[in-house]
This record gives sequence, structure tokens and C-alpha cells, in this order.
Amino acid sequence: MITLDIQNLEAKIGDKKILNGLNLQLEAGKVHAIMGPNGAGKSTLSKAIVGHYDMTILGGDIYYKGKSIIEMEAEERALEGIFLSFQHPVEIPGVNNAYFLRTALNAKRKHEGKEELNAAEFLRLMKGHLEELGMKADMISRSLNEGFSGGEKKRNEILQMLILEPDVIILDEIDSGLDIDALRAVSEGINKMKDGKRSFLVITHYSRILDYIEPDYIHVLKDGQIVKTAGPELVAQLEEEGYDGIIVNE
Amino acid sequence: MSIEKTIAIYKEDFDLFPTANEKLEYIFDLGKKHTTLKEEERNDATFVHGCASAAWLMGECVDGTLVLRGEGTSEMAKGMLTLLLDIFSNRTADEILNFDPQKLQELGIIELLSPVRQQSLEAFLKMVYSYAKRCKEGVL
Repeated sequence: MITLDIQNLEAKIGDKKILNGLNLQLEAGKVHAIMGPNGAGKSTLSKAIVGHYDMTILGGDIYYKGKSIIEMEAEERALEGIFLSFQHPVEIPGVNNAYFLRTALNAKRKHEGKEELNAAEFLRLMKGHLEELGMKADMISRSLNEGFSGGEKKRNEILQMLILEPDVIILDEIDSGLDIDALRAVSEGINKMKDGKRSFLVITHYSRILDYIEPDYIHVLKDGQIVKTAGPELVAQLEEEGYDGIIVNE
Repeated sequence: MSIEKTIAIYKEDFDLFPTANEKLEYIFDLGKKHTTLKEEERNDATFVHGCASAAWLMGECVDGTLVLRGEGTSEMAKGMLTLLLDIFSNRTADEILNFDPQKLQELGIIELLSPVRQQSLEAFLKMVYSYAKRCKEGVL
């Protein structure tokens, strides 16, 4: 089953056209890795999927569970179950991390017709996930990402993912700035979400994280298009030949 | 589940919150499940006298079990009523009468209430025990 179907997507940020007729299908229960050189359009693709305000869509369409989402606001897409972990999570002083997460979760639960969690129910859930991710309990009362280290910010993104339980999970360079322990904790969090139904789009420069989160497909993105799709064996080839080697050989 | 067990579960919930403010906010949160009374049920007989904000408590005796329903007008009253009704409603009259209300201190929140709100709590408890007594005597 296809969860996300991107068809001939063209998009720009400012005056610069970045996605040039990109086609990509995400399968349910599969991990898709997107790799590509700097400036290929990886982050732009993730922003286009979630409806980021930076983007202007010029053409093409995105179907989520068979329904076009191209006209949907970012928050509607989030409520429907599309999640993006940011490459550079924003610090929001004064917004308590637990309040933020609970508000987001309860908005989603309400959207799904489920009962909202009260503060105690939510804190139990959050504390359980904090322990799994090796995060400190003070993450509950600290302001969202304020003063967090790079690793803490990324773990906090994974915490959001675990709490919101989305169906399509986009991880934009979740591995950047992580030490080995943090990378392992983050990867374990991601692997825990694999349930055979969710789709993952792992955007990365490096193959290291793919040792922990085994991908089913590797897509190489260049100049705003997917130029090659293969199985996980492509990672080793990329390591050996680099993007230029792979793309030239195509 | 006994009254003591219900209190123990709430205590665990309140212990999750490190500050007094957060505990009080949780009481407000509980108030979201607050129910209301019918207009004709809000009368002098059900009015909780001495409560900081208007509140009513309705007691019915069903086969020896006291069924309580209430309505508060402030956020605090709504939250406290939700909490207290969960603790005291659907109990036998004997269960309530044999329960020492001092044990409510174990919740760890009573001391956080202002003196006026503590008075409100006393007024509420007085009514609960009065209903329980009348239920036991078969005059409710």
C-alpha cells in the first residue's frame, strides 16, 4: 500500500526553483532513505510534504492515503498524521515542553475523535518515553528546545514523534550533530515506531544512521529530482563511488 | 475500589507534578470532566453553603448506595467536585460514614488550598456525610 504519492512535484523557495518534477512513492511499513549532495532539494522536499510556509508549489501533486494534500495547511497535514522532525529544531522560550506536546497530542486525538488526555495521563506517557530515550526528567518543565544541546533537540524531536504516533514520518537529517549514544537512542526510538504500517522518509547525508535504521529503499536526489532508486546495497556503492560516480554511471 | 485506593491513585497523579501550581492546574484539568445538574436540581436544599463560589450537591440513595452529583461555578469548584465525587459517589452509606475525612490530606493538595477553599471543602464534606447518614437511616 502507498501512503504518500508525490507526483511530478515542482516547488520553489523564494525565487529559486528547487524541485523539478519529483516523483516518489512511500510504501506502508517501509523505510525510504533520501540521500543526495548539498543543495539537491532534500530539505525542500520535506518542507513541501508538510506544507511549510517557505514553499511555493508550482506544479504536481502530493497524495496522502489517496487524498490530495497540496491545498491543506501544515497543521491539517499534521493532524492527518504527517510528521516532520526538523533539521534545526526551533527554540521557543516561554513555551513549556510538556504543555506544547500535550496540546499537540490532544489536538490530534480530538481530530481522531478520541478523548483528550488529562495532565496526569499525559505526564505518565511522556515520562515513559523520556526514559526510553535516555532524556532527563527536567525536559518536562523546560521551555521548548531552549538551551537544549544539539543531541537534546534531536531527541526531543523523536519524543514528539513517539507521542504523536504519526503515520508518515519524515526525519530531516536527524543524525546531524549527534554523538554515538544519542544516535543509538534516536535510532531505537525510530525503530520502535516501525509497525508495518507507518512509512519513514529518512533524509541524510551520511550512511551511519542507516546502520541503525535499516532502509528498504535508497533514493538519490539531485537537482530536485529522484535520479536513482535501489535497495540498501546502494549505500555501500555511494560510500565507494560518491554521488557523482553513481549519477554519472546512470 | 475502596475510597482509600481511589485516593492513593489520585495521590500518584498529583505526585507527578513537581510544583503547587501544576498540582492546582491539574485540579482545573479534572474539572473538564465536570458534569452539571438540571436547573430544578440547583435549589436551596442542594446549595453548598459556605462554598467560596456557588456550588450544588445532589445526593440520592439507591439501594443503600449514595449517588452524588454536583455542579460548581468556578474552575476550582468544578475540578474539586469532579475529584471529590469520584472519591465519594457510588459508595455505601457505611463506607462513607466509616471513612475519616482527614485521610483526604494524603492527596497532598489540601494544604495548597486557600483557607476559603478549605472551608468550602469542609462545607462539601458536611453535606456528603449528612446525605450518607440520611441514606443509612432510609430518609433520603
